[in-house]
Amino acid sequence: MAATSVGRVLTLCRQFQNAFRISTSLAVQQSALTLTKSQSYLDRLTYPLLSSNWHCHVGQCRPLHTTISRRGLEEFFDIPENWGEPTVKSGAPWTAKQLRTKSNEDLHKLWYVLLKEKNMLLTIEQESKRQRIQMPSPERLKKIERSMKRLDTVVKEREDALRLLQTGQERARPGAWRKDIFGRVYWYRFREHALPWYMNKRYKRKRFYTPLFVTPHIRLRLEKHLRAKTRIQNKEREKQTVLQEKFPQMKAQSS
Amino acid sequence: MAQRLFIYPLYQIGNPQLRIFRPPFSLTLVRPGKEQPQDTVQFRIPMEMTKCDVRNYLEKIYNVPVGAVRTRIQYCTNKKRNHLNQKVKRPDYKVAYVQLVQQQTFEFPDIFTEKDVKSAEGSVEEMQEKFMEDEKQRQKPDLRRGGVTEWFGL
Repeated sequence: MAATSVGRVLTLCRQFQNAFRISTSLAVQQSALTLTKSQSYLDRLTYPLLSSNWHCHVGQCRPLHTTISRRGLEEFFDIPENWGEPTVKSGAPWTAKQLRTKSNEDLHKLWYVLLKEKNMLLTIEQESKRQRIQMPSPERLKKIERSMKRLDTVVKEREDALRLLQTGQERARPGAWRKDIFGRVYWYRFREHALPWYMNKRYKRKRFYTPLFVTPHIRLRLEKHLRAKTRIQNKEREKQTVLQEKFPQMKAQSS
Repeated sequence: MAQRLFIYPLYQIGNPQLRIFRPPFSLTLVRPGKEQPQDTVQFRIPMEMTKCDVRNYLEKIYNVPVGAVRTRIQYCTNKKRNHLNQKVKRPDYKVAYVQLVQQQTFEFPDIFTEKDVKSAEGSVEEMQEKFMEDEKQRQKPDLRRGGVTEWFGL
């Protein structure tokens, strides 16, 4: 459990910037989604990354656990020392700037650490609602959500950059500018279908063209929009003239 | 991968197994409302998850070997109205009942046990606690009156 508590501190604490520390602690609770063979798992653990004291912690923690499943479900709850505490200390959330310095592997592992932490916090929240007690430190949830969102942003940035360099495509999901029934032009994002569009009944009901009887209404809509825009501009100008009369020393604000 | 409106790619026979990196789903372990068997763990899962998803999630991320998973969708009321008399929907959620393998048992622990903490000697907290205790002692009714309040004279 020391490894998990360390991981918990690392998820939020800004002080622990060293990538080496993160990789090793995360290696203990890593997800097998990226690994298929158990051999590579062992290689990860014995990877001579960092200072001896962290390695010792990892080596000491491993033989203490008896049933694997017990440890698994225990991770849905906080460490037993924090049960019953009114507040639990937690560090600052990850910023995008900090996340950009991390490698892809580290980000991948951090995602799972954050996910597990989020599950734990949601469990505590639900239990506190059931017991009608205030949840200890609810701000942790917001911090985790923000960290995860920023992580996602950073990963998206990297994917965009890679795609631009390799293929020149600006968007990951293909799309096109299309006109809807009302004559409005919008960016339609493509979906994957199993059959061609001319055989897809539901798709054909969507109608990406404007019928002839709609064209006069397009002009009316445009006129309405222009009238509203001019009304706002005139109002702003009148307001400025009134203010100038009241306060002649005022500098004219150009918006 | 995607934060909202997760659209799965189309699957046709012969396609490779779909893998989701960085899953956006979060599970919540809940205390069962009704009495469940000892090996059953109850979760609240997002609507988009399936039984296979739950199994893989728990096995890969939490290292928990899973026996059987059963799911159901809980419909929550749309009947409640707010102060503007508009109908307010309580969001629906999916519940998963996960049975563990090999007769392992799981009991939902009591997280909010009150700890009896003795504050440090001579500190502010200790003085405050003492004061509160004295106040409570003062406000206790006189035992000799036999439960009768002070309102009744004499």
